[in-house]
Amino acid sequence: MAEIVAAFGVPHVPNFPAQVAREGPQSKVARLYAEVAGHLDAVSPDALLVFDSDHLNTFFFDNMPTFLVGVTDSIEGPNDQTPMPHYRVGGHAQLAAHVRASGLARGFDLSLSQDFSVDHSIMVPLHFLTPRMQIPIVPMFINGLCPPLPGARRCYALGEMVRAAVKEWPRNLRVAVLASGSFSLEIGGPKVPHDSIAGTPDQEWTRRVQHLLAHAQINELLEEATAARMQRAGNIGGELLNWIAMLGVIGERKPRFIEPEVEHGRCYGAWRWD
Amino acid sequence: MSVYAVNKLCRDAMRDPAFREALRRDPAAAITPLELTKDERSALLCGDVARLYEWGCHPFLLAYLPRWELFGLTIPLYSERIRKARDARDE
Repeated sequence: MAEIVAAFGVPHVPNFPAQVAREGPQSKVARLYAEVAGHLDAVSPDALLVFDSDHLNTFFFDNMPTFLVGVTDSIEGPNDQTPMPHYRVGGHAQLAAHVRASGLARGFDLSLSQDFSVDHSIMVPLHFLTPRMQIPIVPMFINGLCPPLPGARRCYALGEMVRAAVKEWPRNLRVAVLASGSFSLEIGGPKVPHDSIAGTPDQEWTRRVQHLLAHAQINELLEEATAARMQRAGNIGGELLNWIAMLGVIGERKPRFIEPEVEHGRCYGAWRWD
Repeated sequence: MSVYAVNKLCRDAMRDPAFREALRRDPAAAITPLELTKDERSALLCGDVARLYEWGCHPFLLAYLPRWELFGLTIPLYSERIRKARDARDE
């Protein structure tokens, strides 16, 4: 039977690949990503289920899903001019279709796409974590950038549904979960600093989320991560919903590794129980 | 308000180099065929990103404009203007 073997959370800043290429493997971002990649390699999953928020690249206001499962066996990206290599990664279409059907049977009206590319928010993490693109992914998109957003408890429940769906999958498969996103980030809105179009307006929230993650205080996190609170942390603050969905899959576990970059509004984490 | 058309203009500016170049060469002419309101047209041509934001244009998309200095927007100028926008999140 299929099982959930680990979970990971990372940010996905578009500049990371170029920055790490320039600054080398001893730079902080490179080291933090290498730490997470080490945990991923150690559990060696057969498939990676990715919770991600598209940045108006894969989807737009002409067609904007709140929750969508990508059911395909091949995914290309990035599709948004991010300065990094172009990749093609396999999709685990059968598992994706099963998760979607399972969601529909359990009251989650999940949208579907069978033909799509992805932006930096998936390709930057894969560039560092699985650069050979050897692990097929199941992309699950959550609207984290275009309010109104789904609620934190709904996203957690989505994760719980995914856990149940994976357990029911009648084949041996080791599945890991990846959450992509920052906790405090403002792009192009009124909370940006002087002379810049991006900033991290809420270090306190980043600290608080990291603390709640480190101590597996899930209920507190779900209580505090209101739409208003996440928006105060920046117009990209809704990316936390991807982490919350990931927590729904694994339940109240403490991470084996978690490290914040508070000044940048983000965190890196790995959850294992092997 | 056809905020959608402004959002789409920003995305097209990022994706379509020919449209971007047209916006740079003659912004008024480049946006003439688009289904914008009179106010949106005027706000765009003035680079008034605060008003566009307050009307509901997505900030992630508006932030493409200074990347190529469209509508006279440099990064410092964009920042100065957007910081003065009314932020519904703080109310």
